[in-house]
Amino acid sequence: MWSIGACASVTGGTRCDTPHSNLAPGAYYSRGGSADPPAAIEPRTTIRKRAQVATRDVVTRTMVELADTLVDDFDVVDLLTLLTDRCVEAFDVEAAGLMLAAPVGGKLQVMASSTSTMRDLELYEIQSSDGPCIECYRTGLAVSDQNLDTTAQRWPLFTPAAKDAGFRSVSAVPMRLRTTTIGALNLFRTSNTRFSASDQAGAQAFADVATIAILQHRAAFDAQALNEQLNHALNSRILIEQAKGRLAERAGIDVNEAFDWFRAYARSHNLRLVDVAQAFLDAQLTSASLKSSSPGR
Amino acid sequence: MTTDRRDRILNLLYPVGGGQLDAAHLGQVCVTATGVTGAGLMLMSGEFPRGSVAATDATSTLIEDLQFSLGEGPCIDAYRLDQPVLEPDLANPSIVRWVAFTPPAVEAGARSVFGFPLQVGSVRLGALNLYCDRPMDLTDDQHASALVAAEIAAHALLIMQARAPLGILAAELEASSNFQYVVHQAAGMVSAQLDVSVAQALIRLRGYAFGQGRLLADVARDVVDRRLRFGDGRDPV
Repeated sequence: MWSIGACASVTGGTRCDTPHSNLAPGAYYSRGGSADPPAAIEPRTTIRKRAQVATRDVVTRTMVELADTLVDDFDVVDLLTLLTDRCVEAFDVEAAGLMLAAPVGGKLQVMASSTSTMRDLELYEIQSSDGPCIECYRTGLAVSDQNLDTTAQRWPLFTPAAKDAGFRSVSAVPMRLRTTTIGALNLFRTSNTRFSASDQAGAQAFADVATIAILQHRAAFDAQALNEQLNHALNSRILIEQAKGRLAERAGIDVNEAFDWFRAYARSHNLRLVDVAQAFLDAQLTSASLKSSSPGR
Repeated sequence: MTTDRRDRILNLLYPVGGGQLDAAHLGQVCVTATGVTGAGLMLMSGEFPRGSVAATDATSTLIEDLQFSLGEGPCIDAYRLDQPVLEPDLANPSIVRWVAFTPPAVEAGARSVFGFPLQVGSVRLGALNLYCDRPMDLTDDQHASALVAAEIAAHALLIMQARAPLGILAAELEASSNFQYVVHQAAGMVSAQLDVSVAQALIRLRGYAFGQGRLLADVARDVVDRRLRFGDGRDPV
């Protein structure tokens, strides 16, 4: 189960260790091997084409990876960390971060960030309640490719902080299923390159898969917890009935009177009825001591 | 199609103008949705039936009681096998699956019986039992409705329990339930009579009831009312 505490373990280190910002993504991910000519002498159109193919590869691979992660007992933090890391690779951004609203109370938490700078910035967004991720979560609508030179009024607190951290533009996509928005995915660039419509669609597809996974995970967890609660309630009741029967037999009383003895003992010793019943069934409590507290003693 | 079916069943469960969401109503919705004669909702835990939370008529009640007593029947198989269990002709089955369960169930008027797991995700709660007073296969439409009804029922049961305080069984579940408390009281008594564990006492009670061809609850009632004793030299087993 995910928890707030688990964030620290995935956001502590810098994950931006691949030199993608200096290379076309196509160069980095091409499977052509050593026969490839250096990227610099390729015509620009070829580079772009290869970049697109490579982006599609990463998207496809990520979708497969995400699907693989969705086994019975997956870790939500692992899933979201994978998601932010792959966003950085697939969409040629410098940093990606993801916030989720807590299932109870709706408080936003930073769940995954590709870099520690990103994490600090996301925490600042939550603290100041200002910025693209917050806006995206609140409205449930994507924030598409905003140049930070133009956002000083829209996000007065966030904009200078993000620029100080070296970022130039931001995008955000909601984590939303129908009317339920559970969080948002933020993508940051340090260059002025445009975040294309297809990048935006790809990021939304990533977010959609993760959203469905998280909602299903939560529903399954709720069902598990509720079923355990149901069984626990039933077990407690059965235990008390068994103890009533045994005491009735031992003390030669009827089962209703036996119940009164247990209840009186539990009250006078400030214990739970079920614990008294369990102690009696475990022979840690005798019928004589139960009788000593009984109403008709 | 499935969405329509789900909407239709949800509308039965939550009628316009509101209504009481309780287990008895849930059982009735399962009957209406599938067009069978009667339905029962059995909770299970581990390998054991825990009791019935709803049964829509006397025959359904007996079907649930028999399964609780004997530990066999369509609900128990559906739960254990994690799939629907269908017996379209209980009086003349192609394979006799439930030797002890079948004769009294047929005698009570159950001519076809169907069990569907009550499940939410990977969490299994028990099984939905449907019966008809004539031999019949479920149509594809009835089968599909039964699957959706079982899914909705499983969710609804958990929702009812979610409203109850921790450690307490929800009143909506308790109201129409038969958790056979008398059986557990009797097991407690017999455990003292034979100086064995409660679990062992329950096995003795089950064995005795089976040998006598009686329901476990009826035997248990005799023990609690002190018409029947174990281990006093005139041991009934």
